[in-house]
Amino acid sequence: MTEYAITTAQLAKIYPGVRAVDGLDLRVPRGSIYGFLGRNGAGKTTTIRMLMCLASPTHGSASILGLQWPADRLAILQRVGYLSEKKLLFEAMTGRDLMRFNRPYFPRWSDEAAKRYAERLEIPMDRAFRKLSQGNRTKLCLLLALAQGAELLILDEPTSGLDPVVMDQLLKVLIEDYAGEGRTIFLSSHNLAEVEKVADWVGIIHQGKLLLEAPLEEIRADFRRVAASGNNLPAQPKAQIFSVASSGSFTEYFVRNDAERFAAGLRAQGAAVLETSPLNLEQVFLQLVKKEEPCISGNIGATPAAVSSSI
Amino acid sequence: MFVRVNSASGLPLYLQVESQIKHAVAAGALKQGDALPSVRKMASDLRINPNTVARAYQDLERDGLIRTVPGGGTYVADHVPGLLKTEKMKRLRPYAMQLAVEGTHLRLSPDEIVKLVEDSLDELGVKP
Repeated sequence: MTEYAITTAQLAKIYPGVRAVDGLDLRVPRGSIYGFLGRNGAGKTTTIRMLMCLASPTHGSASILGLQWPADRLAILQRVGYLSEKKLLFEAMTGRDLMRFNRPYFPRWSDEAAKRYAERLEIPMDRAFRKLSQGNRTKLCLLLALAQGAELLILDEPTSGLDPVVMDQLLKVLIEDYAGEGRTIFLSSHNLAEVEKVADWVGIIHQGKLLLEAPLEEIRADFRRVAASGNNLPAQPKAQIFSVASSGSFTEYFVRNDAERFAAGLRAQGAAVLETSPLNLEQVFLQLVKKEEPCISGNIGATPAAVSSSI
Repeated sequence: MFVRVNSASGLPLYLQVESQIKHAVAAGALKQGDALPSVRKMASDLRINPNTVARAYQDLERDGLIRTVPGGGTYVADHVPGLLKTEKMKRLRPYAMQLAVEGTHLRLSPDEIVKLVEDSLDELGVKP
């Protein structure tokens, strides 16, 4: 058994004129709930489709559950539950038909679990797929992925289009049945508040590159906003500063480690440090990806490229 | 379940869980020997990552507030944690500082700020 559920090495998908995924090195620890975040078009779905052997990479390699990828495709597909972004199934089939259809492909399929999920997520199982609302289609796709008893769930925006009650039920199901069992959940989402609650690892992808991959706890502990007032303060991102904004004598820094020492340094320069406050995931995400250029590369501790501080 | 978390508050979730359990013990809602929910039960009730709850439980156990029986659940400890006085003061000092800053900012007098603390102690039923 390997330590990681998913690893990729320099994984890339390059279309003419677009580097959709550009040298991705992912490390998804086994047993984690990993939030895979990025803006629209950042490369999330392309990455996921490559992992599921639905798109072939331009170059790079990956390993899933310790299996050879993509050579062991069959074993991978049997052991990984997948929810696609489009949430499409055979239109004429009902939920019950689809259960019968999927069951033989998955050795660990459980009818009992499927029935339970149908109840918990309130899915009409006797209606043809094409007659289902978008929310119910998503739920049915999720049920099929969950009931196959997968060791790894790869979910492409699982909560998009779900109403708050069902979303709440889904999170409960995922935590009860998957987390803490050594099973891994890799999910992409735009709902940062929800990811912040359930995830313990976060990867942020921007323009096909991984900007940050870290335990959420580390992000919470290390990333700080430092508000200072004074003259001639450093105005360029460098070392641990990954974003700076100045207006008049007021300067706002976003730093990613040693915030206390950084603040002490500012004080030594005669500045008044007004506040040092922790950042939530949404603030970190916005500070990292709001600009054109990537401003942090690789993992925490890497040296960021110098970028313009004009905002 | 008495614990509630708010992911928008800026306070780490494990600290929210910790402080609410501490509060419940201080207020007598949880008594010595009372069982706490399992990590997974608490996590799924709150829709948070099980590791977050585990971290909170570890911290509370280290502080001596709860004890874990291997394979047999988690309970409120029989004895109040026996920390050194200096350590207790050190832990509380940031909260006192925050109260002092906020109180001064709102132009409360020192007496009024102290009175607030006394009132809170009264509410908990702690006798001087």
